[in-house]
Amino acid sequence: MVEKDLCTTGIEELDIQIGGGIPTGSTILMVGSSGSGKTTLGMQFLINGAKQGERGVFFTITEPLFKLTKNMEGFKFYDKKLIESGMVNLIDLRIISERLGLDTEKYTVEDAAALLDVLKDIADELNVKRLIIDSITALCYRLQTKEMIRDFIFKLGASLAAMKCTTFLTSEVPPRVFQYSQYGIEEFIADGIIFLGDVERKGDLIRTFQVIKMRGTAHSRSKFAMSISSKNGVELAPLLKSKE
Amino acid sequence: MANTLIDGLKERISKAITINQSVGIILPGNNYSDLVQALFEHIISRPEDAWVYVTITKPYENLIKQFGDLSDARNIKFIDCISRAAGISKADPNCIFIESPTMLEKLGLEIINIFKEVDENTDKYLILDSLSTLIIYNDPEIVTEFFYHLENKTRARNIHTISLAIEEEGADKYLNKLIYLNDKILKVRDSFI
Repeated sequence: MVEKDLCTTGIEELDIQIGGGIPTGSTILMVGSSGSGKTTLGMQFLINGAKQGERGVFFTITEPLFKLTKNMEGFKFYDKKLIESGMVNLIDLRIISERLGLDTEKYTVEDAAALLDVLKDIADELNVKRLIIDSITALCYRLQTKEMIRDFIFKLGASLAAMKCTTFLTSEVPPRVFQYSQYGIEEFIADGIIFLGDVERKGDLIRTFQVIKMRGTAHSRSKFAMSISSKNGVELAPLLKSKE
Repeated sequence: MANTLIDGLKERISKAITINQSVGIILPGNNYSDLVQALFEHIISRPEDAWVYVTITKPYENLIKQFGDLSDARNIKFIDCISRAAGISKADPNCIFIESPTMLEKLGLEIINIFKEVDENTDKYLILDSLSTLIIYNDPEIVTEFFYHLENKTRARNIHTISLAIEEEGADKYLNKLIYLNDKILKVRDSFI
């Protein structure tokens, strides 16, 4: 039997549910509305990897770096030394875009190709094994057509897979709506989809977590309750069958 | 009278929880304080054991005020499910505050997380105070499901559980179904001593 090359997330229950980890080199779409835990889950995945010796990079588009680090400092899993040592790299993609002269509202095909090259070069030079783009929705907003979106994500995913780099692309969707992306393209190119939602119970919102698709694994499609705490970060527990 | 009652309760609880993995205690509301006092006295007398006390009935702060000795006890950790929902925002290193008693999955996670930090050879005990108040805040079906899961998880980790049910509260039909999941039932009556 061939042993699979798996990228463990370090989130115990998630790794169990997907048979040990995400197939290395996969591109995972992490879908959720505002406050669903996409950034925290992504950062925890990156930091857990760095603790195992896998270098990672986090490209942020939705919030400035100082806000991102300030929010993460409250979590016990966050280790500033991993940032300082370069095991975890935090990059503001808007600054890179500005430096490339990509400050227009919409990118041309050439602009998109230039950005793609820069992302690949950074991943290659840093030799990262884990990469996050937070969010792919904000990036896709600048791509003018569905074809450009498809082409961009496909080429990015293929290049990173060749580097054995596992990628999380966060996808912003409206709250309480069961859709995977803003443009309806992203989910078809991704190897996996993780959906972060919520259920209402007696007026309280319980965060939920569900693996919709994970190519190459016999994963559970059960819904889990997701807890986020400063001590343990993201944790999962089987969702009790509440009346939704 | 009260001391005799508390001593009687302590003795029955001590015997029951030593022999059985899970004990359900059904009590009338007017005996609630006596029972909690008996439980706390039992906990303090067993410093070598690890205890987790889940309160859904009274805020942690009230319990500490009422039973002062507890603030020095190192063998007990609290999980308070009602203070945050009631707008009480005090923090305490000996207590985990859960936002709402409806967050049952989170409660389950926190219970197991505390016990994960306890040495494997230490005897471990969980007190759930109470099933009847959980039913006030949640649909009885979901409490039933939660309790099944909790009992399975605690059995797997060799954690003894004591679950309280206050007779006057909640839906008796569901309470009876739940409480009888325990290995042993203690019914507290003024007349039993």
